[in-house]
Amino acid sequence: MSSVLIKNEARLGLKLVAPAVGIIGLLVIYPILFNVYLSFFDVQLNGTKIFVGFDNYSELLGNPRYYNSIGISVVYLLGTVTGTTVLGLAAAILMNQEFHFRNLARGLILLPYFAPVISVVFGWQFIFDPVNGIYNHVMVDVLHLSDTRENMIGDPDSALFVVILFDIWKHFPIAYLLLLAKLQSVPKDLYEAAAIDGQNAWGRFWHVTLPELKFVIATVVLLRIIWNLNRFEDVFLLAPNVETLPIFTYYQAFSGVVDQGGAAAISVIQLLVLVGLIWLYVRKVLKW
Amino acid sequence: MNKLNPLIVTSTVLANGLLFSSMSQAATVEFWTAQTQTDRLQTIELLADTFEALNDNVTVKVVAVDENEMATQMAAAVAAGTTPELIEVNSELIMAFGEEGVVDTSSHQAVVKDIGQTRFHTGALNSLKSPSGEYYGLPYHGWIQGIWYRKDWFAEKGLAAPNTWENIAKAAEVLTDKANNQYGILVGTKQDSYTEQVFTQLALSNNASEFDEQGNLVFNSPATLETIEYYNELAQYNPPGPQNWRARDYYLQGKMAMFFYSTYIMDDLSLAEVAKSSLTSENFKELSGGTFDPNLVKNTGFEPIITNKSAASYGTVSGLVALKNQNAEDQKATQDFIKFMYDPASYIIFLHMAPGGMNPMLKGIAEDPSYRTDPTGVFNLYGADQMKQIVSGFDTIRSFSVVDGKTYPASGEIFAKSVIPRMIYDVTIEGKDPQEALDEAEAEMKAIIAK
Repeated sequence: MSSVLIKNEARLGLKLVAPAVGIIGLLVIYPILFNVYLSFFDVQLNGTKIFVGFDNYSELLGNPRYYNSIGISVVYLLGTVTGTTVLGLAAAILMNQEFHFRNLARGLILLPYFAPVISVVFGWQFIFDPVNGIYNHVMVDVLHLSDTRENMIGDPDSALFVVILFDIWKHFPIAYLLLLAKLQSVPKDLYEAAAIDGQNAWGRFWHVTLPELKFVIATVVLLRIIWNLNRFEDVFLLAPNVETLPIFTYYQAFSGVVDQGGAAAISVIQLLVLVGLIWLYVRKVLKW
Repeated sequence: MNKLNPLIVTSTVLANGLLFSSMSQAATVEFWTAQTQTDRLQTIELLADTFEALNDNVTVKVVAVDENEMATQMAAAVAAGTTPELIEVNSELIMAFGEEGVVDTSSHQAVVKDIGQTRFHTGALNSLKSPSGEYYGLPYHGWIQGIWYRKDWFAEKGLAAPNTWENIAKAAEVLTDKANNQYGILVGTKQDSYTEQVFTQLALSNNASEFDEQGNLVFNSPATLETIEYYNELAQYNPPGPQNWRARDYYLQGKMAMFFYSTYIMDDLSLAEVAKSSLTSENFKELSGGTFDPNLVKNTGFEPIITNKSAASYGTVSGLVALKNQNAEDQKATQDFIKFMYDPASYIIFLHMAPGGMNPMLKGIAEDPSYRTDPTGVFNLYGADQMKQIVSGFDTIRSFSVVDGKTYPASGEIFAKSVIPRMIYDVTIEGKDPQEALDEAEAEMKAIIAK
């Protein structure tokens, strides 16, 4: 190809990607840069900005609540990501078997994922209400398993556990959906060959299913980490005293008169952490 | 050229038409109200429509914003350049917004001049003054908080009315029967404003305060520590786990002996209809239903004043706040709308949305016969004397932000940041040492003041 043609093609290519670059620049790059810029200011409601250098950062890093919320976020991430992936995998394998009403079961399993967060949160709150809820009624009045009524969602000792459980229940269907899609495309002859080689069910799972699913599982885990590190609404609506990072950010920056500079500093750090985590995961764990 | 003429004529007519229509819709008043319940919104919409009918070139847009969301929504609106013209919020937020420099104090001055300064309840109007004497907002309605309690249960156990620390603690202990799902008292333990309201009344009755007359932060004091410890003691008799005002429904269900609440509860207590709607509507998100006890009003007592080292009543004033606006037409329309809202006819319609909860800030309204005959008959049920007693409380209500007639706007910022509710949550629910929690709260307050 002549150099003119190559040049023309390159120019056309640039023109074709220009709208996308423009939109990404406007909606992603610009807000990130502006956010970084804001993090060095004390921003008043009327728009006045006072340069404060690294004050927002040092204030944040000197706050013990911040480290506490990092710890809670780590537990929350570990619990929810492992929980949804394992439960999603189990459900996918089960739903890949032949049985009556399989299609109906496949549909029903997706319900928690489709239900609006706010309505299921209230459902859970009704169930666990300390005075009138069915959970305490059954535990205390019917089964006599306990003498005292517990506020499972409110009590800080159990709240984190309940929030993790809620997230697993609500979000395992998406893991299930992705894994089942891949599972259906695994060739049957691989299993037959493994069976001929003398592998039992466990061996077939370990040597055929898992390697085939590896990349989908990795994708599920990656997506779940990204979503759950930033997850706000489920946690805040259900148990606002579980201070994961987004909840901490909300209390710190958005309760009362908004501290835009402080909020910007938190989100800059959170962005760096997220990027770092993903890089580490993709490069070192997945070796993509 | 001739061919173009019709086009030019048409476009000129169109442009004129647009210009004319935009002139006839010259002013817009976007009004954010903290009254989010449907029936209240309908009433406010009705008032807005009436005002629009009286002023054809003004549009009033009513927007309901939850009180807890108000500060966040305002920040977003100011940043986006879509600040509303007028908001209705509590005095703490008014002071905070005033300090942020988004309030149009000149409009307030104009309205006060027009209505007459002496017609306002002095204490209420002064509580919204800036340190330099401008009005950050105009008092519109207010409530008084106190303890509501089961007189029949108290009589049965021979307990004295819950108006001193000692009486309250004793009654809470005696009337708690957790095995039978019965709780002695409700104090706020969640990180929200209800917790601060309960704490403030107890703290004021123990002579604890945030600021002294010189404006120094004096929150970290033995009196405050004592209040936190006392609060923690009361919290043992709470329904399990962190609670806020929603748990008042346990009282309506006959599962609780006492609870801190404002006079807003009057209609819920008195009217079976109202109570039923409370037990099923949006107010009732966390609890399952119960049957309404028709004798509840008869059996309920109210103690607005709590005494330990001194007698303290606590209440809060909500006000109308005009916000800075570049458009002179909008500013004028906003002032007119505020004056309309203070007109006795519309004012009484507004106050009747929550008889007893929303009390007038203009003198003379409470004596107005049309005010005393509210559509649901609540005022009749409680009697004129008790009503008079409640309204008179506004001359002396105390709060952390007003000390000896001087206002401390930083107190509003501290309120907005939920410093005290978090301190209480840490102690009552997380079991943190009271002194340690107090030290942390003080440090946070200092950081807020320093900004």
